[in-house]
Amino acid sequence: MNASTTDERPAGRDERSGSGPTAVSALAAGTRAELLRLRKWPVVWVLVSVWLMLNLTFAYVFNYIAYATESGNFATEGNPRAALLEDVLPEAIPRIFTTGMPMFGGAIMMILGALAAGSGYGWGTWKTVLTQGPSRLATFGGMLAAVAGTVVAVIAITLVADLAASTLITVSESEPIVWPDLAALAEAAGSGLLIFGMWASAGVLIGVLTRSPAVAIGLGLVWSLVVENLLRSVSGLISGLNYVTDVMPGTSAGSLAGAQGAVPGAEGDGAPGVLTVLDGGSAALLLVGYIAVFTVVAAALVRRRDLV
Amino acid sequence: MNLSAGRSPGDTSRAADAAVRARGLRVVRGARTVLDDFDLDVRQGTLTGLLGPSGSGKSTLMRAIVGVQRVAGGAVDVLGRPAGAKVLRDRVGYVTQEPAVYGDLTIRQNLRYFARVLGAPRSDVDRVIDQVQLGSHADHLVSRLSGGQRSRVSLATALLGTPELIVLDEPTVGLDPVLRVELWGLFHRIVEAGATLLVSSHVMDEAERCERLVLLREGSLLADDTLPNLLERTGTGDAEQAFLKLIEQADNGMRTP
Repeated sequence: MNASTTDERPAGRDERSGSGPTAVSALAAGTRAELLRLRKWPVVWVLVSVWLMLNLTFAYVFNYIAYATESGNFATEGNPRAALLEDVLPEAIPRIFTTGMPMFGGAIMMILGALAAGSGYGWGTWKTVLTQGPSRLATFGGMLAAVAGTVVAVIAITLVADLAASTLITVSESEPIVWPDLAALAEAAGSGLLIFGMWASAGVLIGVLTRSPAVAIGLGLVWSLVVENLLRSVSGLISGLNYVTDVMPGTSAGSLAGAQGAVPGAEGDGAPGVLTVLDGGSAALLLVGYIAVFTVVAAALVRRRDLV
Repeated sequence: MNLSAGRSPGDTSRAADAAVRARGLRVVRGARTVLDDFDLDVRQGTLTGLLGPSGSGKSTLMRAIVGVQRVAGGAVDVLGRPAGAKVLRDRVGYVTQEPAVYGDLTIRQNLRYFARVLGAPRSDVDRVIDQVQLGSHADHLVSRLSGGQRSRVSLATALLGTPELIVLDEPTVGLDPVLRVELWGLFHRIVEAGATLLVSSHVMDEAERCERLVLLREGSLLADDTLPNLLERTGTGDAEQAFLKLIEQADNGMRTP
């Protein structure tokens, strides 16, 4: 062997001691890797941008245009112009923050989760990382942590965007700036985290179940946008069905948004997906339960199932 | 079924330093028995070619060695541990037939991703890109590369870190002759540096590039020997003829009571 051939020998993986990496360091490595992947992935930026545009458009732009042009399209009874302006001021953020999350935002987060988990099967990369990575659970846990981190970032960016948009409107209308109550704002952000977290973890589970990003997204969207709504609409016709529909993921997400003050879609000018079926506490508990069940089932499948 | 007569004398002495040791391996997929009572020894520090026609069980054997294949019987030890053992995770590199890299990331991003997961140093990324000669495409999206280039990106992931055994399933499929020669050169250099390579191929021409050949046919071990020994034993001039001769001998042997 000459000197040049020695250079061909791989240089060495970290932590090549007999014991190997610890579970924590393996999880951290998996999280860093998945964060890199999500950050460099154009589709993630597209999804986040679409959500932010939807949120700003429906929460602020349309309402402000209706207010500024005195359009009656969005008006309700009483004092419509004043109500429209109230909704787009900073003080209203805790109330309107989660309005678009149960349905549209949730669907986008579900796509994110389905892509994050399913694309590894689609491209065949899970085979490599699950067989050569530190451990299946650590690698999968890294993906979950990266998705969770992305959800937290999206909530934070949404909050900043809402604050910026409402402040801009306040200044342009020469209204006094009244900042929202911090506790209420934190509760709204926490609710948003639970709603988005539930849908993202549902996407991860469907991605793992189907082992295909396309099928996962298709099935997930059909469930979140169609099936749940259909079931809720017929729950009055079939005795006992409401016991099921009242605790479904979409119902829980919609009820939590409704508990924050978002106007339910059933009230005509409300937002689709927002409901008042459950109280806030029950809805939050159910969402926590769904997140736990979805992630545990997905992790168990990844750990036990044979690789394709 | 195992044709142990295909193994040259003295091979049992190599069991102690085997990178791979399979005994009585049986793999059933669906209704089909892919491997049955299969024995194999792959010595450490060798470049072993796993040759045979499509459907002969090469990929299944490799999956069993890497530990991602459910086995119905027998045992496979890799580097002295049961195949698939946790301690082997960073000691065994595996590249599947289909490229296993993200098409919507660049080559460099893919390798940075895998380096992080596998715990390889970041400096490995540039090293392996150079090794597979994709430096000029490092910042190109993988989905825009040719099939051969995608295969080389996949190969690069197996070179991250210090795998002691590298299992490559048909790594030269779809590559032009010049690139194939260069890759075989790379394989030899990796082996000279101390690693063990197990490379499958259905192209018999590639037999002459391997130190040792494992010939498979319909899930059976037809031969496990060096090419010169095989040619001498079969009295043929090239690997393909030797393979055909061995099939003929095996068929005759099965017909003879």
